[in-house]
Amino acid sequence: MGRYGRTVIIIAVVVIAAGLALGFQTFSVGGFQRGSDNTLLGLSLGLDLQGGSHLVYQTNLVDPNTGARVEVTQDQMDALKLNIERRVNSSGLGEPIIQILGTDRLLVQMPGLDDPERAKRIIGETARLEFKRRTFNVSRDLTEITAADIAGVTVDYLPDPSPATSTDQLATSTQDAQAGTQLVALMVEFTEEGAAKFLPVFVKMNESFFRYQIAQQEFFQRLQQDPNAVPSVDIVPDTLDISVEGNMSQRYTASAASTSRLDTTTYAFVVPAEEDTGEQPTLEVAMDRVGNNAQLLFTEITGTVDEPIGLTGDNLSRAFPGQHTQSGIPIVNLEFDSEGTRIFGELTLDIVRKQETEGVRDQIAIFLDDQELISPTVQTAITAGTAIIQGRDFTVERVRDISLQLEAGRLPVPIELIQERDVDAILGADSLAKSVVAGLVGLSLVLLFMTMYYRLPGLVASIALMIYATLVLALFKVFPVTLTLSGVAAVILSIGMAVDANILIFERMKDELRAGRTLLSSINIGFDRAWPAIRDGNISTLITCGILFWFADQLGASIVQGFAVTLAIGVVVSMFTAITVSRTLLRFVGTTRLTRSMRIWLPSGGSEVPQQFLTDTAD
Amino acid sequence: MNFVGKRAWFYLFSLAVILPGVVFLIITPGLNPGIDFTGGSTLTLEFQNNVTQAGLRDQLASIGHPDATVQKLDASTFFIRTKELTDNSKAALTGALEANLSPDGLTELSFDLVSPVVASETVLNALYAVLAAAVGIFIYIWWAFRNVPSPFRYGAAAIVALLHDTIIVIGIFSILGAVLDMEVGTMFLIAILTVIGYSVNDTIVVFDRIRENVGNHPNRELSEVVNLSISETIGRSLNTSITLMITLLALYLFGGATIREFLLVLLIGVVAGTYSSIAIASQVLITWEYGDIGRIFRRGRQPQGAAA
Repeated sequence: MGRYGRTVIIIAVVVIAAGLALGFQTFSVGGFQRGSDNTLLGLSLGLDLQGGSHLVYQTNLVDPNTGARVEVTQDQMDALKLNIERRVNSSGLGEPIIQILGTDRLLVQMPGLDDPERAKRIIGETARLEFKRRTFNVSRDLTEITAADIAGVTVDYLPDPSPATSTDQLATSTQDAQAGTQLVALMVEFTEEGAAKFLPVFVKMNESFFRYQIAQQEFFQRLQQDPNAVPSVDIVPDTLDISVEGNMSQRYTASAASTSRLDTTTYAFVVPAEEDTGEQPTLEVAMDRVGNNAQLLFTEITGTVDEPIGLTGDNLSRAFPGQHTQSGIPIVNLEFDSEGTRIFGELTLDIVRKQETEGVRDQIAIFLDDQELISPTVQTAITAGTAIIQGRDFTVERVRDISLQLEAGRLPVPIELIQERDVDAILGADSLAKSVVAGLVGLSLVLLFMTMYYRLPGLVASIALMIYATLVLALFKVFPVTLTLSGVAAVILSIGMAVDANILIFERMKDELRAGRTLLSSINIGFDRAWPAIRDGNISTLITCGILFWFADQLGASIVQGFAVTLAIGVVVSMFTAITVSRTLLRFVGTTRLTRSMRIWLPSGGSEVPQQFLTDTAD
Repeated sequence: MNFVGKRAWFYLFSLAVILPGVVFLIITPGLNPGIDFTGGSTLTLEFQNNVTQAGLRDQLASIGHPDATVQKLDASTFFIRTKELTDNSKAALTGALEANLSPDGLTELSFDLVSPVVASETVLNALYAVLAAAVGIFIYIWWAFRNVPSPFRYGAAAIVALLHDTIIVIGIFSILGAVLDMEVGTMFLIAILTVIGYSVNDTIVVFDRIRENVGNHPNRELSEVVNLSISETIGRSLNTSITLMITLLALYLFGGATIREFLLVLLIGVVAGTYSSIAIASQVLITWEYGDIGRIFRRGRQPQGAAA
């Protein structure tokens, strides 16, 4: 009993592990996470079983001068992939699986997508690269707001956030920050017209503040991972300058954080702290300074202004990653065409001049599809048409990504949808349910047939087959293999092959038993004799799988690929279960009392084996 | 049972099965190529209101899709095949159908689009895949049977059997295509490649026994050894195909409609594969060994060529 006990225990452990892997919807070992909460057994399901869109795009690059077709490069494909990934991810459409197929095709898979049309629109857009001049703190006097627009100016304590104003999200967010303190504020009541003129200013200021906060947040997140990180985006929030001509001339600088909207016409601006004490003046002092008949002049200071300068991706001749000649740090190289060289030269000259005269350093903000890619500052005037971008936290990867995206915007690779497969989630779930039922029915029938025909060995093989099914499914989950309809078919086929291996073994065993061998030696010889056929048959199937996989890769037919991978795993596991699990279990049973009845070891039929040949079979 | 002696009948029987299929393949349009091979679009629509196949066809014709084919999948679900649809033309089509046939609404269960560019290369790639698979298997068998006299023949015989099975399946499908209006697509290709895998697996089991028996009985005639080997493996061959057919039938009856075509190919392929291991692959070895071809030529037949 003990001889095969250890192997039985090992098999039991493997089976229990596989059972657990399947039993829990999700699990994680170390950093290794698998499974999903909302699929059958937590398996990874293909689009045909869960619904979604499968899109294949063909790149269609032509030479603008000759109109001849041009081969796309690997870099261009990488850039295209990056670009579409960024676009789809930022559109809130969920996370697509994007793959490059062959040399010039792109596969986009979006599971459980409700709006394939919108996704296709976003994917199909042509990339737009634009260079803009970024200036800071541009002030504009709001002369359109005149004395007639202001109904009254008073000074009072800023009211605590109250239910009446809490419906106004913009106002409460600023008040919350100051709740509990008694802040002195300038209260401006506008007329209806005045309020209508001021509202856009207030909204713009808050929006820019919001963008600033997001940029900051992104920066702090990066800082957590990389202590040397620097902000990749320079955004300065908008502010408002208020000059108050009352009993005294005063200048207030209001930001979104210090401005509250109390009702539709009344706004509160927190009175700035005194320069010498760093504290707010008391209410009385502030009131006294403003007086009863103060005149106000508003000046909007736009923190960050991006102004188009007529420089686009068309003017860029090349963008490629490189290394700084002296320091060796990764940089991005830019080369412009003659028009680009001229515009870029004038721009940089002007920026440098402005820096010398005003001490302000403007930037060049580079946008891809209206999203900011990077905004370098200008160190010197560049009139030769070649520039480098360096950044303190530039890595080889980041420099490559930026170059690829610049290239994608410089020479957008047009894409064309050549294949689409949309499956509704309900249809997918229906297919899945039917496949599961069919698979279970098929498997049960096979087990029944095996047990009835081959009796005890058939029963043992049935147990081995159930173990086989558990192992295969567990492997699918762990790898993970995406299970598609054709994958289900492959599983069924591989079960057929696992059954075949068992049948081969039993037929051999039967021959040995008939030849008068003992049970255990029949089992051993049966396995040894059956092995070459099992091995060669399975290897030839694996060869077919390999060729199918290659074929599918060329074609972008993920259905075929899924089939090949699934079948290959099935074949390998079937070899393992046939020679390890079946054999051990049979040997194990062969050491028990069940050996006393020879009848249960021999199939009911089987008389077709010619006796005269059996006797002269050499050992 | 003397299998080897009946090889002429086996060849004739195969010929009888293959010929009608090949005739259908050549004279009629033969295989009904699906959009995977021609390009175009297919839609599976579920209608809330009662819709008839004829009504749907007429409606499609009146909105500019006279070439559309319509198949009824169940009471309220239809499969429509049209020329390549863009997003706009698809929206126009479903919009018109909803307005005119199913005011209570319709659901788009699936949509497929294949451009002719992809379609044309699919056929070529499939051909390459089959050839590559055949070469790979041939080389492997040649190597695996290296200890047997003329191992080359085993590889070649396995390929003959493989082509035999492929041609039978394609032939039967071209008849089904003409009679039942059945289309073939990518799934058909996968199925053919699966049949190839199965056919070779089955052939190898018989060949393995021949390999073993040739070693055990070095003085016997090859025909005797092949006969013995077939006798010894026929029980296994039948049982394996029975279990596979049980599984495939269960899938065919209870599984989704999407893989029916696939399963039908496999069912035919399993029967053909089992038959060909015994009646074609093993017999080709004998025919080669005894120089049958010359004799058969004089009778005016060329079964080996027909099988290939």
